[in-house]
Amino acid sequence: MIHLRGVSKQFEGKSKVTALERLDLHIDRGEMVSIVGPSGSGKSTLLNLIGGLDRPTEGEIEIDGEILSALSDDGLTRVRRDKIGFIFQFFNLLPTLTSLENVSLPLHLRGWPRKKIDERARELLELVQLTARLEHLPDELSGGERQRVAIARALSIFPPILLADEPTGNLDTHTGAEILKLMHDLHERLGATVLIVTHDHSVAESCPRTISLRDGRIVADQHRQALNQEVSRA
Amino acid sequence: MSKLLAAWLLAASLAAAQDPRQIMQEVQRRQQSQSQHYEGTLEVIGHGSRIATKRWVFDRIGAFGNSKGMLRFTVPAEVKGVGLLIVNHPDRASDQWLWRPNIGREQRIALQDRSTRFFGTDFSFEDLEERDVAQFDYKLLGDEKETWKLQSTPRKSSQYTYGYLWVKKDNYTVVKVESYNKKGLVRAIDYRDFELAKGIWTARTIEVTDVSRNSRTTLKYDKLEYNVPMKDDDFTLDALRRGP
Amino acid sequence: MRLLRLISWPYARKHLLRWLLTTAGIVLGVGVFVGMHTANQSVSAAFRETIDKVAGTTQLQVTAGEPGFGEEVLEKVQSLPDVRAASPVIEATVSTGKGNLLILGVDMLGDRSLRTYDLDGTDEAIDDPLVFLAQADSLIVTKTFAEKNGLKINSRMPMRTMQGDRVFTVRGIMKPGGLASAFGGDLAIMDIYAAQMFFGRGRKFDRIDLALRDDVTLAQGTAKLRALLGPGYEVDPPSSRGEQFEQTARIYSLASNITSVFALFIGMFIIYNTFAIAVTQRRSEIGILRALGATRSQVRTLFLVESLIAGTFGSALGVLFGIGMAQAMAGYIGGILTDVYGVAQRADGLDLNPVLLGGALAMGIVTSLFAAVIPARAAASVDPVKALQKGRNQALGEGESRMRRWAALACAAASAVALIFSRNTVIFYAGFVLSGITAVLLAPSLTLWLSRALRPVLAGIRPVEGTLAADSLIQGPRRTSGTVAALMLSLALVIALGGLARSSYNSLSDWMRIALNPDLFVTTAQNLTARNFVFPASLGVGLRAIPGVAEVQLVRSVRVTVKGGPVMLVALDVASVERRAKLPPVEGDQADMYRRTERGEAVLASENFVRLHGGRLGEILEIPAPGGTLRLPIAGVVRDFSDQQGSLLISRDAYMRAWHDDTVNVFRLYLTRGAREAEVRQRILDAFGKQQRLFVLTNKDVRDYVTRLTDQWFGLTYVQIAVAVLVAILGIVNALTVSITDRRRELGVLQAVGGLRQQIRHTVWMEAAAIGFIGLALGLLLGAVELYYAIEISRRDLVGIDIGYSYPVATALALAPVILGAAFLAALGPAESAVRGSLVEALEYE
Repeated sequence: MIHLRGVSKQFEGKSKVTALERLDLHIDRGEMVSIVGPSGSGKSTLLNLIGGLDRPTEGEIEIDGEILSALSDDGLTRVRRDKIGFIFQFFNLLPTLTSLENVSLPLHLRGWPRKKIDERARELLELVQLTARLEHLPDELSGGERQRVAIARALSIFPPILLADEPTGNLDTHTGAEILKLMHDLHERLGATVLIVTHDHSVAESCPRTISLRDGRIVADQHRQALNQEVSRA
Repeated sequence: MSKLLAAWLLAASLAAAQDPRQIMQEVQRRQQSQSQHYEGTLEVIGHGSRIATKRWVFDRIGAFGNSKGMLRFTVPAEVKGVGLLIVNHPDRASDQWLWRPNIGREQRIALQDRSTRFFGTDFSFEDLEERDVAQFDYKLLGDEKETWKLQSTPRKSSQYTYGYLWVKKDNYTVVKVESYNKKGLVRAIDYRDFELAKGIWTARTIEVTDVSRNSRTTLKYDKLEYNVPMKDDDFTLDALRRGP
Repeated sequence: MRLLRLISWPYARKHLLRWLLTTAGIVLGVGVFVGMHTANQSVSAAFRETIDKVAGTTQLQVTAGEPGFGEEVLEKVQSLPDVRAASPVIEATVSTGKGNLLILGVDMLGDRSLRTYDLDGTDEAIDDPLVFLAQADSLIVTKTFAEKNGLKINSRMPMRTMQGDRVFTVRGIMKPGGLASAFGGDLAIMDIYAAQMFFGRGRKFDRIDLALRDDVTLAQGTAKLRALLGPGYEVDPPSSRGEQFEQTARIYSLASNITSVFALFIGMFIIYNTFAIAVTQRRSEIGILRALGATRSQVRTLFLVESLIAGTFGSALGVLFGIGMAQAMAGYIGGILTDVYGVAQRADGLDLNPVLLGGALAMGIVTSLFAAVIPARAAASVDPVKALQKGRNQALGEGESRMRRWAALACAAASAVALIFSRNTVIFYAGFVLSGITAVLLAPSLTLWLSRALRPVLAGIRPVEGTLAADSLIQGPRRTSGTVAALMLSLALVIALGGLARSSYNSLSDWMRIALNPDLFVTTAQNLTARNFVFPASLGVGLRAIPGVAEVQLVRSVRVTVKGGPVMLVALDVASVERRAKLPPVEGDQADMYRRTERGEAVLASENFVRLHGGRLGEILEIPAPGGTLRLPIAGVVRDFSDQQGSLLISRDAYMRAWHDDTVNVFRLYLTRGAREAEVRQRILDAFGKQQRLFVLTNKDVRDYVTRLTDQWFGLTYVQIAVAVLVAILGIVNALTVSITDRRRELGVLQAVGGLRQQIRHTVWMEAAAIGFIGLALGLLLGAVELYYAIEISRRDLVGIDIGYSYPVATALALAPVILGAAFLAALGPAESAVRGSLVEALEYE
């Protein structure tokens, strides 16, 4: 599903900063993986590269059979819009749009018919248990609610891959746990490949596989089959 | 009245020829004629002058100082037919009209323009006038061997403030004139090649020198005749317009 | 100062493009001001210079209006003992096919006591003065002109004269400098009597130049000459012609002042806009500064100094731009004014007035400072605690809007009151300004309402892009409303000017239909206004004899001074005109006014004469003429567009008696029924074309000419329109650039969730289109009001004709695609920058 072969990323600035160094990584369809590491270890960069928001300096990234480096900017966007859903730490909802409109956004961008969009958006908001908040603007929602809208938006196209950057980072513990549960739930029901970048150990440990990064290299790749089953059942 | 006076003056001049006015009156008397005709040749001898030599025919009728003159250019071809009518008045400056056949009209030459040069020559329009001696005051400056030197001061409007004249004692001809304005010498005129025609001593060559421009113009008289029959009618504006 | 380097410079450098765009408004405003005035002044200076150089040592000039006076006047003047020298002059401009040549007809005998002819070669003007006089085709040209056209002594040069085509001979060449440099050196001297013949002037002079004796003062000389000549003659120093000319040029100064004020006003909005945005964007920075101990006044000073720098930079650039513009415009204005005042001039060099340039500079800087006052105060009042909290803060305070709306209401009421008392000029102009202020104050609220109204429409076109574009407008009223206001003002200006042009065209074409109805016009030049050449009246008899000609009207137009202004006096056969082209009276009894005018007991005044020179029906006008001052009442007021300065219609007989002038400028020919225009035209040309300089124009030719002339007049206003549109484009670019910056994160999200680049572009374009549309809507609306004022101003102070209100629908319709296209154009750059940036950064952007 996701293949990284010798991927490096350097940032040009006053001095060159290496964020990732010759990274090889393979993630199978349907896996749920957490990525951990201290600040500056390159975990967000890794997520951005996989999500096609950025391009590697070196190496090759393959997403669902497509080599990203071979694609144009618009090609990258197409991969994003067809295969990837994003969940951001700061939600990145458009403040002028209602929950329903925010969720509809990716579908509109794909030019779906209005009626179908409306149905799907409502369905998704129901899925994240926000039926009562359809016409609210982001400012009128709590943090957890906003993140649920963001998740609904990310899921609107039923993407095979879901990327989350610190999805609970801006939420209190209780709400964070709720969101995490929601994500597990969705993973289970929709069978998507999920990647979560996180600081939070409890979040990381809830995932069957955890990749630890330090200074742009993978220092650990831990599978936790049984634990995963337990949590998901809980 | 004036004739009587002239006769009396003539008698007086013989007795006391030292009086400047009497000298000048004698000069004028000896030049007296009823009419005059000549063909003039005008040549400018300035440095680098491009003024073509001109010829004209001149007729004059009437007594000196009260005469009328008609001048017609004949050469070069470009100016042929251009005429100048001069009507002298004993008591004031002359009237002058220029006839321009090419545009078919005459043009009055204003008093203020009399000091301007006569078509690029070293003469001015004023120099073409005859002015009666009565229009000047005279002073005898010197009694040289053959000539008297006199100073003349115009009583009426003139570009000159005063002038010097040299008059030959033997025949009362003016041989040289120097004209001055406030700034000094303007023009000098030399009269040469005197010839006696019908009893009148006449200079056949007149040379004028413009001092400031350092240029000379000579006027030569040919076919000079005096007292030939002429009609007053030929010295009017109509006659000027009629052409020769 | 240190703050400036530490804080402002990095920000300005980061937003360099926006700073440049911001100053563009000031550049344009100052540029237009400097350009128009410098051009005006240069033309005036060139005019004075030509007069000066041509005048030589002339102390006084005797004139009697355009028809001139008889030669006998010269002798009269010369007879005055106080006059040292007097010399007659005829002036004419002749088109030689190598540009215009100013021909000075002088008396070669006497003229040199007034003018020095610095001549080439020997000290003599001409090789042979007698040849020069004897040959009528003689010409002295300047060395400049000779070299330009490859002429030498005895070269031949053809010119079209009243005697048909004639070949002239160069008989003298003047050295450059002095007289020879007048009119840019395109000057030739001709003998005055030859000139009389070639220009059909008869035995008349245009004027007499004279010098007084040394012991006579100017005042004494003037008084004596006036007493000698009587009324109908003017005795003035040459410089007074320049003053009259400048009075005429005043119209253009007024028009250009209005434009510059508009441009600066718009520039002020753009600056205000930019600063307001900057303050919003730099809130957190200001917060940090304040938290670190900067006082309010330090923060305020920081912003004011920034605007001072921007204003100085923009103004300096504007001055340069204006000088460049003046270069291009001087010739244009000069051409129009030459026609009005009849004296040729050539503005070759620019006359740079340091006071004007300094004033413009100051004006730009003050405008810039003024625009920054409110944003600077806003910056100073930023609360450090709130500013450091995350989140956006763009919304307009509801209180602020309400206050604005109240102020707008007050202004609107005041301007309505001003309208009632609009007889008073000051109150009228105050009302004009207030109406503009009302619109400006209302602009933010109206922008918001219109944006909200547009949201569903845009969403209907493209759900995501449209909605986001509309939301962007609603969310950022500060960045939008400034631009909308600027756009609104400039479009209102366009509508006002366009409406003025359209209304003028309408009443002009009415007039042309009624008054310009002869079938053929026989003129001395290709146009109707050239008055250098005139026909003898006898030609009229010949024309009447041409088969196919039913009636011939003899028209003589001359410029005379009435009530202190240069007015066009049109002498014609009133009875015939009444029969053929009866102008309806604006005031007066139609039958009576024509009858009295025909008998020479009265004149008809044009509407604009009455307005501009303050005349009224029945008033007895004093018209100075060589035959004595005419005292004639105004029997009627008619709408006549013959002249911008106003015209008086007089019977031809009365004119001939008073001016001793029977010449003709134009013959107006009516054909017999069934006669073919082209055939009659050919017959006239065959009969007279050889020995006469004449042109036969058809009715259509003349109408086209008049229309073209009007176009030319409005050509100046098109320049203003272009400026206005340009300013608008800059405003939109500015607003969008800011909008893109503000919304980087939002646009990043859009791309992250699958928005294609084309879709991002769409949203930017739609935002631009929406700004354009709102500006357009408000501009067209405000334009309706401004048009009223424009027509009033034109009636009161410019043209003097009441042209009636007619909204320029066509212009408005044409503006829509222009502005939307301009908006699209303005959006191209920002849209590209929106899709180019790094996504990762955009998403982290705060």
